[in-house]
Amino acid sequence: MAQSRESAIAQKGVRLSEALKGEGLTPELGPQDRLRVVDTLVPLIEGVYCHLPQKRAGYAADPVQALRLLRQRCVEMTDGEFHLAVTGIITGLRDAHTRYVGPSGLRGKVALLPFLVESYGPQDAPRFIVSKLAGTANTPAMKKLGFAQGVELVSWNYVPMARAVDVYAFQETGGRRDARRARALETLTFRSLDYGPPPDELKVTIGFRVGRSLREVTMPWRVVDITAARLGKNPQSALRAAWNPSAESVRKARTLMFAPETWDANRLKTSTGRSSRAKVVHGRSSPGNGVRGSARDTATGKPAAVAIGQDLETSFLEVLSARRVSATFHEGLRARRAEVGYLRVWSFDVHDHEAFVTEVDRLLKLLPQDRLIVDLRGNPGGLIWAAERLLQLFTDREIQPTRFSLLATPVTRAMAESEFNHLELDDWLNSLTDAVSTGEVYSKPVALTDPSWCRDIGRTYPGTAALVVDPNTYSSGDLFAAGWADHDIGPLISIGEATGAGGANVWGDLQLNDALASTPYAFDPLPGGVQFTMAIRRAIRSGVSDGIPIEDLGIRGIPYAPTRRDLLEGNKDLYNFCAQTLHDTS
Amino acid sequence: MFAVRGRIVPLSADREVSKGELDAFAGTVWLGDDGMVTAITHGTHGTHGTHGHAAAPPGFEKAPVVDVGSSLVFPGLIDLHNHLAYNTLPLWTEETRDKAKPFLHHNSWPGAQSYAASVTWPAYAFITASPQELLAYAETRAIVGGTTTIQGSPPKNRPRDGWVVRNAEDETWGTHDTNLIQASTLTLNPEGLLKKAARMRQGSAFIYHCSEGQVGTVVAQEFHDAKKADCLQERFIAVHCNAIDPKDFAGWRRHGAVVWSPFSNLWLYSSTTNVPAAMEAGQTVCLGSDWGPSGTRSVLGELKVARLVSDENQWGLSDSDLVRMVTTNPGDVLARPWKRQVGRLQPGAVGDLLVIRAGPRVDPFRALLSARERDVELVVIGGRAQYGKPALMARAGRNGTATTSLSVDGEARAMVLTRPDDPGATWEWDDVVARMEVVRGHPMREIEKGRTRQEAAMASVYLARSRNGGRPVPQPPLRLALDMPTGLTPLGGLPKNLDEITVPALAGLSHDGEFLDSIVGRGYHGGVLDDLARFYR
Repeated sequence: MAQSRESAIAQKGVRLSEALKGEGLTPELGPQDRLRVVDTLVPLIEGVYCHLPQKRAGYAADPVQALRLLRQRCVEMTDGEFHLAVTGIITGLRDAHTRYVGPSGLRGKVALLPFLVESYGPQDAPRFIVSKLAGTANTPAMKKLGFAQGVELVSWNYVPMARAVDVYAFQETGGRRDARRARALETLTFRSLDYGPPPDELKVTIGFRVGRSLREVTMPWRVVDITAARLGKNPQSALRAAWNPSAESVRKARTLMFAPETWDANRLKTSTGRSSRAKVVHGRSSPGNGVRGSARDTATGKPAAVAIGQDLETSFLEVLSARRVSATFHEGLRARRAEVGYLRVWSFDVHDHEAFVTEVDRLLKLLPQDRLIVDLRGNPGGLIWAAERLLQLFTDREIQPTRFSLLATPVTRAMAESEFNHLELDDWLNSLTDAVSTGEVYSKPVALTDPSWCRDIGRTYPGTAALVVDPNTYSSGDLFAAGWADHDIGPLISIGEATGAGGANVWGDLQLNDALASTPYAFDPLPGGVQFTMAIRRAIRSGVSDGIPIEDLGIRGIPYAPTRRDLLEGNKDLYNFCAQTLHDTS
Repeated sequence: MFAVRGRIVPLSADREVSKGELDAFAGTVWLGDDGMVTAITHGTHGTHGTHGHAAAPPGFEKAPVVDVGSSLVFPGLIDLHNHLAYNTLPLWTEETRDKAKPFLHHNSWPGAQSYAASVTWPAYAFITASPQELLAYAETRAIVGGTTTIQGSPPKNRPRDGWVVRNAEDETWGTHDTNLIQASTLTLNPEGLLKKAARMRQGSAFIYHCSEGQVGTVVAQEFHDAKKADCLQERFIAVHCNAIDPKDFAGWRRHGAVVWSPFSNLWLYSSTTNVPAAMEAGQTVCLGSDWGPSGTRSVLGELKVARLVSDENQWGLSDSDLVRMVTTNPGDVLARPWKRQVGRLQPGAVGDLLVIRAGPRVDPFRALLSARERDVELVVIGGRAQYGKPALMARAGRNGTATTSLSVDGEARAMVLTRPDDPGATWEWDDVVARMEVVRGHPMREIEKGRTRQEAAMASVYLARSRNGGRPVPQPPLRLALDMPTGLTPLGGLPKNLDEITVPALAGLSHDGEFLDSIVGRGYHGGVLDDLARFYR
């Protein structure tokens, strides 16, 4: 399917310099407003932020005291200094769930450069390449310069590349060094303006290597419109999100730039209002959605008639892709080739978990039934149920979903006591009350996914499966990985040290405002359109790792360092590694 | 201003109105523009004192007079125990449970297998998808039964505009003090009780579900906990108290009130509050119809149940004793925090009244006790005709354009109902019902739409408040919460798939045949409630 005119226009966007002309629309906060921001955040971080004890211990950081200090001098600061200071305090928590969003006229936009930077090699000596180049950069001038997919990047605004990435990484939220770098690379050329300031510079000069020659290209930041990521058509899902909304916006922008046909198909689906559930019910994808490939065979149950490497059709094309891949592994000294199923779950940002799980099950049946790779790299999370319910398809074991605790404070107790929150928080109330006398720091942990919902289908994939994660596998992605490891479903292969370690259920300021509305801790919206998100319920692992938090630790697996071939030739070495691991562990 | 002329049963404490509190006489109730009773005069003729009868009070010379003939004019009825969010639902019982084992207490039945699907989920559908219509429906059911003040409107983020009957917890009398009456359906911990006790000392009333269950069960402790927290004050209104040892009523020395809901008690527990013991101890006993799943449709029905239960237990309560439980008793109790008299017709009292069809020489209390919904001819709230026969409504200044029409047991009635989005426009009753039927027909779709609409509106108000720098912002959408236990539900209180939610047919507005038939052979009343039908058939 050819790219549509709409996506071509959307890809172009406008120059950052143009977009910033409208930034005059950013309201300035007066001294009273700044005090209000601090006075609102302090009791909420102290009373609701579920990772506060851990962050105080892990980073020797005290955001509450830092904000109190800021309060003393915020009146004499400039607006920019104030927002930078608050952002610094909140980012210092190293928690992508908990973000401060200053006033901005650029909401719903992503600033980008038309290429993706990825790294390979060891952590201490990484090499950076352009792993994807958008069609908009495929110009004669670029070709003449030799700026193409695969070129090695050596500098960023004349700063050596590794140094530039590490410096930028300090503005990012990852807890571990590898996580910070992974998140920095994810957003180096794609910055969600919903959750952060625009880039400092209007243009970037990139030094790159072609053969032995060093060259430079200067590109302006461009700004594209991306609908702000949000969960919640389903009334139950709005408060059950575990995700990195900033990364979800970035993921959508990347779809626009690097897979515009998928972006087009999604746009078509949204505008025509066709529901994914309806398609799944009929057992096959809509032929008109422009998805690659032509697999079908649910009627016969035979393997899908698509070529190796070709994607199966799916009605969840924005969050799923599945195909057969070829991989080599060694049996003793003999090399063997095998077909392996490959399922990529790009995100758990789905409205209809039932249709999502059904669709994954359908895709699995079309893949080779003996070996499977489940790839969750870069998955920023989404609906907790969607992630946890999926686990049952791969194992005979009874899935114990992750459980979540509230910080035990007068604020969370009042929130749980509110009649408006009974449906949502009843299960936490008694232990929050008991904590007054027991001194427990947290409430009893309670699963957000009803355990019976993790057992209502059972195993449908009969073969062995390996899970691949990276430090950008976050939140619900963390939960899925935790469930995978804790129920011993199969090998877990980790690029970087572990998953992204986002162990919480996250709410926005609107949801928190709503939940506290009828309590003594009700707060007014922050002035000038300032927003925030906050980790509310802390995730605790189940099964063999019962009681261990996910935040900052993540889920560790068998380490794997991606190769240049992985980045430029479709993960070939990774597939081989997975096939070998599956063979060795089966 | 207008007046209602008929056979007045004022239940007045003002001896200038009537020599005895239980007297009835031909006369006129004069209602001022301030919503209060200006005067009550004796006599049946003219407005100018002809035939030797009292003249109209000054300023009322041209006021319209609604003459209801021999019909009885009572103070409006007060329902001091309800849960309006559940009043579209039919009677519920756990059909698989042993018929010989009534529930022990209020923590027993929420654990029944069918409870959440039968009660919580359908109620959730309405509070989410059609909160305005739900309250309009439940309040209409109350007014059809002659109720002018009701307790138990669901927790909400703001009072509903254009209410049909007075909501006890929302009434501030212009003070904007929303703490005049506090309520809790759920059991409070000692800290919570202490706070309520402190509020009561400052003048609030506290309506509290207390010790609901069979005598001697663990929930009896709730009464003692309330006592320890110093809640047993004059403004403490204890709902149920059927689990306590009757002797314990005597320990409540600063006499307050007990709300009796005999239908619900018998339906769930096979036993009820020891009313004589409560009265003997000096507590004021009031009636409440409770909720759809285990209650009557209004206090007009609950009065009859009280009659049956008193007779069954040989308590000797008179008809007037029972009528006082829905008029003067709750009126006096509410007057403590409100500083305004309801439940009595006398100068200076709130202008809430009820007209019951009756012949000229009937016993007024027997007539009210026996009255059916179609005998309710006119209901006036705050000095304004709110519901009644179209002709009477028209004479009271509510012509056809200001009212909507509905049919009650085959009789036409007119009611003032205004649109929530436009208080100046009439909201047609048929539209209310039609909207609820849409929700009933497609609960999943409507819940999702309702939730999305509500969230979008809340977000818009939130953003406006954030950006407006203190300037006026749009009113948030009405949001309701369920005030009863949610039961055995998946975490989060709702089923995995919302299409598992089914909503039963809307329960009728009156004690109709469907309701009466649904009593027989169900619940734990041992047949006592079967006799309710004799009042209606």
